[in-house]
Amino acid sequence: MIKNKSSKPKRYLTTILVYIITVIVCFIFFFPCLWIILAAFSGTGSIYNFNGFFPPNFSLKTFEQLFTGVTDVSGDTVMYPYMTWFLNTLIIACATAVIGTLLLISTAYVISRFEFKARRKLMKGALVLGMFPAFMGMTAVFIMCTQFQLLNNLWGPILMYSTTAPVGYLVQKGFFDSIPTSIYEAARIDGVSNFKAFYKITLPLSKPILVYTVLTQFTWPWSDFILPKLLLQDKSNYTVAVGLMTLPDTEFSRFCAGSVFIAVPIVLLYFFVSKYMVNGLTAGAVKG
Amino acid sequence: MKKSIFWLLPILLLSSCGPSGQDGTSVGGDVSELIFSKFDGNLEKERGAVLHILENDLAKESGYLKELLDGFNEKYAEYGITAVDANLDEYTDLVNSGPYGTGPDVLYQANDSLMKYVPGKHILPIPVDRLECYDQVSQIGWDTFTSDANYNSTFTYGVPVNIQTPLLYYRKDLLPSDWQANWDDNKNNIPDMVETRNSMYQYSKQLKESSGGTKFGFMRAMQDSYFVSGYLFTYGAYIFGNNNKDTKDIGMHKGNAKYGAKFIRDFSAVMDNRCTDLTINATGYSLLANGEMFATTNTPDTTRSYITTFRDVLINPTGQYKMTAEEANKYIDENLVITTLPKMPKNGDVTDPNETEFIDTTMMGGIHGYSISAYTKYPNACLAFLDYATSYELLKKRTETLQLSPAREDLAEVTTPINKEIYNMLENGTIYMMPSIEELALFWPSAQTLFADLATDGLRKDNFRYDTLDKIQAALEKLSKDVYDAIWTLQ
Repeated sequence: MIKNKSSKPKRYLTTILVYIITVIVCFIFFFPCLWIILAAFSGTGSIYNFNGFFPPNFSLKTFEQLFTGVTDVSGDTVMYPYMTWFLNTLIIACATAVIGTLLLISTAYVISRFEFKARRKLMKGALVLGMFPAFMGMTAVFIMCTQFQLLNNLWGPILMYSTTAPVGYLVQKGFFDSIPTSIYEAARIDGVSNFKAFYKITLPLSKPILVYTVLTQFTWPWSDFILPKLLLQDKSNYTVAVGLMTLPDTEFSRFCAGSVFIAVPIVLLYFFVSKYMVNGLTAGAVKG
Repeated sequence: MKKSIFWLLPILLLSSCGPSGQDGTSVGGDVSELIFSKFDGNLEKERGAVLHILENDLAKESGYLKELLDGFNEKYAEYGITAVDANLDEYTDLVNSGPYGTGPDVLYQANDSLMKYVPGKHILPIPVDRLECYDQVSQIGWDTFTSDANYNSTFTYGVPVNIQTPLLYYRKDLLPSDWQANWDDNKNNIPDMVETRNSMYQYSKQLKESSGGTKFGFMRAMQDSYFVSGYLFTYGAYIFGNNNKDTKDIGMHKGNAKYGAKFIRDFSAVMDNRCTDLTINATGYSLLANGEMFATTNTPDTTRSYITTFRDVLINPTGQYKMTAEEANKYIDENLVITTLPKMPKNGDVTDPNETEFIDTTMMGGIHGYSISAYTKYPNACLAFLDYATSYELLKKRTETLQLSPAREDLAEVTTPINKEIYNMLENGTIYMMPSIEELALFWPSAQTLFADLATDGLRKDNFRYDTLDKIQAALEKLSKDVYDAIWTLQ
């Protein structure tokens, strides 16, 4: 074997170059976040008197206004009920995470474990449907919600998110495919029913994909704008994304504070369960 | 014989329909009687009605809406009728909410927004002569909310509440210290720069040059069609002919409109490139409060924003002024001045310091008012609400609380002098009323493109595109043609 003498310095050079590029890319992505965070803590509550990019002084005034919902003008009228919007977002995201996960996992499990007549066609149909952008069906969704009295009702977006979730079953199916069939055959010989096999065998083995599914089902409605904007017209039913978008130009600092606060739970979640996330995603992606 | 009967038949049929008259009257029956039959005044049959009122955010913020609703609920408690905040976005489109039962019963929006609901019959014709405010509102105000689009008759679809038109906001404390000696030629104790555009131009030029381009005189977004179209109207342009109803007659190049367009180009030269950027509409409050610019134009509903932004700057503990709240309020009262717009040069040359003849500036304006949703189940209660909300006492409170200009003459006379001036502007035609037809939406983008181009040209050092009046005229003719094509090409 011929050893390349220049390989070590070349490797170092490549590593340094990679690090430099990574740092630059990270900075490019991080800078807007940093700016939003600093703007949220702006002492004057306005972004138009910054010295260059950054506020001249800092305070918690904007967060105080954000949580009380009042404006400077009236001092006692709750114009922007952020905490109500936050609660609505939490309810929609949690309910979607539970119902959507249930539907998605059971769909993926059935497709993975059972052979039935229309299985292939269903798989292909779901794949094709998944290729269409969600907003294509918005008019139909709106009309359906008017007929089912789901306008201005948190159940509207919850049901829409949950029922469309099973279309993206492929990652979960990939994970279930990786569980050896022999386990199920042994369970069947012992007289275990299909549901019990799912409950007692599949679920305990599927923690990574479960966490991944719950998290993705939670984050989608947490940050979505289009569907709640369409279905929730009453201001007391707004989610944070819709509420923040309705703030006037003069409330940009409140917008920044609202954006920073809404990001906190999701960032924490990702930090704590990122291990499962990666496991779930990679395990599901290996086999299709 | 057969032939003559063949021709006679359609004529007979047409004549049996009869000509439509004003206010819903027509030969062969009173249409208005039929249309207004739902407004029978019987509140008893609407007992227990809950009216959803869509008001603007300013009314909510200031607490006025609460006062209005409380007052109405108290007055109509005997009928069990209550009015509540619809709690919807102030720009909610009735077309997308009304038919599905989630819209408001009563809406407060600008005339162009309200009148776009008329062809689709989303709002009801209103028997406005039954309202207490009827005789006090200017006829121009009523005409703004009048349409003959439905029922082959003319009906009024809204009740005027307040007039919106650009005003001049300037800071007295930023006037030059020698203004009484050098900037008050007619010695009327009013600075020349707020009286004529030519003086404002000279002062803006002086400020920009002496500060090295960090301070400005007059500044605003020069491509904002709503605010700058007026410069063209001043010299005879118009959007649609026949009282803004003929969409085949586009007149943005008519009269001496080229002078107005030249004004946009010339004045941009004494601003900076922010005049070609709409974000200055949001930053303008701070620019005036920080003293970066001396004056700007905006509509009366923004007054509160100027005051609060200015106060924030004055009381900022790390800022230049470091005032207490009381000191700041006093300072604002003394130094933030709101007045009518300076006059325009008759010869159309704003750069001419020796011009002595000036004409009033005509600006685009609108009227905000109330309408009743066609989807309401309680028309009588809605009419009662309109009567209450547009009564003298309530509109006085609204005018004072929200610092708006009332559409009622009796109120314009007793509130602030500027309100009287605005009312007179409406009466004498120096407010060009925003067309109340949906084709207006096709005017804004084309106009904005040309105005942005003119403003950019004013900031150029060379390679000018509009350096002669002929080139400007050609651009205006193209604008009129573009608007016409946008409306009619696909019809």
